[in-house]
Amino acid sequence: MADAPPVEARGLTKRYGSTTAVVDLSFTVPRGRITGFLGPNGAGKSTTLRMLLGLVHPTAGEALVQGVRYRSLSSPAREVGAVLEADGFHPGRSGRNHLRVLATAAGVPAGRVDEVLAEVELTGAARRHVDGYSLGMRQRLSVAAALLGSPELLVLDEPANGLDPEGIRWLRNFLRSFAADGGTVLISSHVLAEVAQLADEVVIIHHGRLVAHESLESLTARAAGATVVRSPDAARLRERLAAEGVEATEAGEGALHVTAAPERVGEVAAAGGIVLHELRGEGASLEEVFLQLTGDET
Amino acid sequence: MSRLVAAEALKVVTTRLLLWLGLLLLGLELLVIALHVSQDSLDSLAEARNQRDVVSIAAVSALIALIVGIVLAAGEYAHGTAAPTFLAAPVRERVVAAKLVVGALAGAVLAAAACAFAWGLAALLLSLRSVSLHLGSGAVLRVLLGTILAAAIAGAMGVGFGSLTQRQTGAIVFAFIWLLVVEPLLAIAGIERFAPGHALASVVEAGTQGSDLLSFGAGLALSVGYVLGFAILGALVVRGSDVT
Repeated sequence: MADAPPVEARGLTKRYGSTTAVVDLSFTVPRGRITGFLGPNGAGKSTTLRMLLGLVHPTAGEALVQGVRYRSLSSPAREVGAVLEADGFHPGRSGRNHLRVLATAAGVPAGRVDEVLAEVELTGAARRHVDGYSLGMRQRLSVAAALLGSPELLVLDEPANGLDPEGIRWLRNFLRSFAADGGTVLISSHVLAEVAQLADEVVIIHHGRLVAHESLESLTARAAGATVVRSPDAARLRERLAAEGVEATEAGEGALHVTAAPERVGEVAAAGGIVLHELRGEGASLEEVFLQLTGDET
Repeated sequence: MSRLVAAEALKVVTTRLLLWLGLLLLGLELLVIALHVSQDSLDSLAEARNQRDVVSIAAVSALIALIVGIVLAAGEYAHGTAAPTFLAAPVRERVVAAKLVVGALAGAVLAAAACAFAWGLAALLLSLRSVSLHLGSGAVLRVLLGTILAAAIAGAMGVGFGSLTQRQTGAIVFAFIWLLVVEPLLAIAGIERFAPGHALASVVEAGTQGSDLLSFGAGLALSVGYVLGFAILGALVVRGSDVT
């Protein structure tokens, strides 16, 4: 299934008794991109990811990874690496033995264990019991487990939870490096600033429903008043923007409110030889857009 | 399948569970055999039947094997390791099958060690009291081999029961209450011999049992039936459950 998207949710629904966690959720994750999976706490992110990974059974719909259900993957560790919560370890087992167990079950050569431990900088603590690990070390161990089969796809559920700033920086650099090598990443988070620094695309859900799925740039730009531009020739600029399909409204004293990114407005002005006195984005951060879409429930 | 068995075996030997339970078992054997040999009269100890009773404490290993089996299956949920386990091996029935094999192997190994220790300790202490040994008799060997077989079955039974309940502590507590309280109460109705604990006991007794137990063959068949029943139900529950 080489042409299939790495991750595809088709009409996913999950009900727990009378509670509906996810409702008719459909989206795809493009290959070679970092996709942020956002939503307030309790939005259904973890449930969705667990349905994709075959851990939770959908009430309706289908969750596909590399074009097939996770259960049907012939060698899942080589296709997908998953980082879930940081407590999936036996406290009395060493980090190295935890990975040996998973490598054995997945049919991954034993030598790979020491390689991934080095990759996540845990070699020095590899023989210590996991109950002596800090939260950051456990997250690194989770990442090491995800990397065992050298997968092209990583699925991470709130990986920054509980990490200190150094750990967050390490994770960010790691994921950037992984994506730069052609990997695909689906990362859930409610730490919006973290995702804003990483993601190419965002999928936003609220109350288990999809509320947005687009590139980070377009999501940011479509917020109201995305750009404020001031020009002595504001009327002509407004005409040229309209010709390009970009809506602009007068904001007084030669200023325009433009529903496009500053880069786009600047390009239109330059093409028309229009002088600008001011060009600035108007606070359309991902967080503001997110709050518009989901309410103040973060 | 073989790699899943290897992975499950690795789980057992990379924690101290088996070590601590093994030491507990050997300590219990040391205490019981030492008391038995030191308290009984020389005439009594000289009888082959009584020497068989001395080493039969090794049968406690079947109970320990049951606990090991429960921990092997339900411990995945207690420690949250079910998720990484099923991510590596998403066909969950195969994982349960691998655990059944490893539960049986762990039970057999534990029981073999317990039998060897009990036999050696009994031989030493009886010799110290200058009692002629009958530890090579058929009755003694039958109970030791029966113990190893029963422990293997108990280990697999524990895996099936642990898979079914997915509650480590609850399953162990329930097993103790069942064996110590419920099965004796079943004697009132005269049906205790068909209960899992008594079926396993008839395997341990290996043909030397009294009237309150099934024959070896019937006990073995019933015990294996319990294993299959728990395993099938457990695999269905594991397959159908959400790992959250």
